[in-house]
Amino acid sequence: MHKKWSWVALVAVLALLVAACGDDAEETTTTAPGTTTTAATTTTTAAEPLKIGMILVGPENDRGWSQAHAEAGAYLEEKLGVEIVILDKVNTADRPETTVDQVVTQMINEGAGMIFATSDDMRDGIEIGAAQHPDVPMIWSSGDSAWPEAGDAYRPDLTNLGNTMGRMEYGKMIAGCAAALTTQTGQLGYLGPLINAETRRLASSVYLGAQYCWENYRGEDPADLGFRVDWIGFWFNIPGVTLDPTQVANDFFDSGIDVVISGIDTTEGLVVAGQRAAAGEAVWAIPYDFRGACDEAPDICLGVPYFNWGPAYVRIVQSVLDGNFAAEFEWFGPDWADINDPDTSGIGYVKGPGLSAENADLVDQFIAGLADGSINLFVGPLNYQDGTPFLGDGEVATDLQVWFMEQLLEGMVGASA
Amino acid sequence: MEATLASIVAAASALVYAVVGETIAEKAGVINLSLDGSIMLSAMAGFATAFTTGSVLLGFVAGAGVSMAVALLIAFASIELRLNQIAVGFVLTLLCTDLASFLGDPYVGQRFAGVPPLAIPGLADIPWLGPIFFKHNLSVYGSFLAVALAYFFIFRSRRGLELQGVGERPEAAHARGIRVNLLRYVYTVVGGALVGIAGASYSLDVRLGWRDGLTTNYGWIALAIVIFGGWHPVRAAGGAYLFGALSVLALKLQPHLPDLAQILPMTPFALMIFALLLVSQDWSRRLGDRYPRWRRLLSGDPPTAIGTAFWRD
Repeated sequence: MHKKWSWVALVAVLALLVAACGDDAEETTTTAPGTTTTAATTTTTAAEPLKIGMILVGPENDRGWSQAHAEAGAYLEEKLGVEIVILDKVNTADRPETTVDQVVTQMINEGAGMIFATSDDMRDGIEIGAAQHPDVPMIWSSGDSAWPEAGDAYRPDLTNLGNTMGRMEYGKMIAGCAAALTTQTGQLGYLGPLINAETRRLASSVYLGAQYCWENYRGEDPADLGFRVDWIGFWFNIPGVTLDPTQVANDFFDSGIDVVISGIDTTEGLVVAGQRAAAGEAVWAIPYDFRGACDEAPDICLGVPYFNWGPAYVRIVQSVLDGNFAAEFEWFGPDWADINDPDTSGIGYVKGPGLSAENADLVDQFIAGLADGSINLFVGPLNYQDGTPFLGDGEVATDLQVWFMEQLLEGMVGASA
Repeated sequence: MEATLASIVAAASALVYAVVGETIAEKAGVINLSLDGSIMLSAMAGFATAFTTGSVLLGFVAGAGVSMAVALLIAFASIELRLNQIAVGFVLTLLCTDLASFLGDPYVGQRFAGVPPLAIPGLADIPWLGPIFFKHNLSVYGSFLAVALAYFFIFRSRRGLELQGVGERPEAAHARGIRVNLLRYVYTVVGGALVGIAGASYSLDVRLGWRDGLTTNYGWIALAIVIFGGWHPVRAAGGAYLFGALSVLALKLQPHLPDLAQILPMTPFALMIFALLLVSQDWSRRLGDRYPRWRRLLSGDPPTAIGTAFWRD
């Protein structure tokens, strides 16, 4: 009997040891490879560097949304000499016992003087955390709690919680354009995460870009462009909670769609397209979020609309260092002079090797049109999916109208709510 | 329609390996509860090996090897140490999952071609059936083979009769001169090999690539499907396909049930557990008694000696 329990104990201890090692490795990663901490120590002299806690919803190496934030953290360390502490995989599936406000409190207890909560999913947690620690500046990325026009979402009481988000609508329009120029079947699929105002406006932006290029550059009838949106249920695959994005992507291709545009944080759509292409099918994909996202299947990648959070985060952290941080809502755009400038442009689009040279030129033409304002796609007449008007004839959408889109647009197939 | 069915068959292939492997182990009386962890660790090891060596085959070998080692540990703990199989399996699940996450870090998001497509000449051209079953790759065809071989071995061979004896009446098997514990070792490890192949076929084919949580919860659903399948490899494989079909259904219904669009993604796992409850209810057994021909389809009893240790003092 004694022998029996000593074995149980041994196995249990082993398991705990390994689990502990594993957690250490993922929780306390501070510097991304390639960043030099020496640069940091030279810019700040004797004073302790500002410690910033960054909370990610997915793994920090997801080749998508979370990795884009992690890299902005490394950029902050390089540019401002601050110290970034990352906790990744903060979501109810990966860490059911952890809430965002707990993480906030813990990070502050460990010396963090500022917090970045980087997912729309963190609304409740970061608002609680901000209320509990009113002296610590915090940013909720992709949120709208600091936007006076945002109605119920506006939280004027949280004077330490600012928001920042990129105008990814442009990136998505470019993606839609590349997809519409490339498709041979005229059928596009959008791999959607969960359904909310943000994801509706981004899916709709893809559709608007696709429609523009389909009609104006290819000269096709807009009625012939098919656009289907399927929602998996969260920002990335959680078996048992979401649909499997691999399966959704396969289903898109099975039903005649030949370009899949991803709206989720991870790269399943691209990987499936790569596998299908290897089997001889003429299919393409456009991933999302992260500049390097095409790497897993470059040959069929038409490019990637990505976030470059670095410049915005540097502006915000600089304001904290200078002592003039204000809880503001910021919706930054691309630097139209060069949307891929890592130091100035918050939104970019890297064209992928799968895009033909001829179509690449047209995409450039489209980007130039967006840049000089000659192409503005959020202009009426535009109807919502059920036919109710979204924008009247000639009406230009306000930021508020775009941010809070209530439905998908007319012509898009898929659930709106 | 063919394309959708073909995708279900291809996507279920990994799960099919896992349920067949677990069925074999449980038939011999050993519950390998570590599936969720073994599959994950094998998926990681399979991808890492294939990526490093450039050989898909070595990836599968490595995946199989890892799960065989885990299965051996469970057999050892159960047979030699007489520990509770459930407890050991559960601890190993946690251990393997964390190990996979920890060791797999350098391989996240790496590019690898995966199992090359290979249509079977001739068979692939059969109308309707061809595209569904014979336009995949060796990993998918292997899953068909695993089901067929397991069926014939367990139910149509003398060795298979021994295997059943070891799981049903170990004392009687022992009395007939069968080396119960040796066979339990063998079949647990053989089952483990299939579980490992399941893992490798996730990371090298079904969900090409490695990322954290690549196969989360699929081990648990495989364990449920083994029970659903009544410890019969063919029925278990049917369960794996049914699960795939439920996932596709959840997807296909989305545009038609907009009010449920946010809930539908969660339904496949729940429906599968529900189906399991249905077949394990008493009334399905009574139905089986009344219509003996349907019995195999409706209910199945666990091997009598499942989860117990056997020893002779």
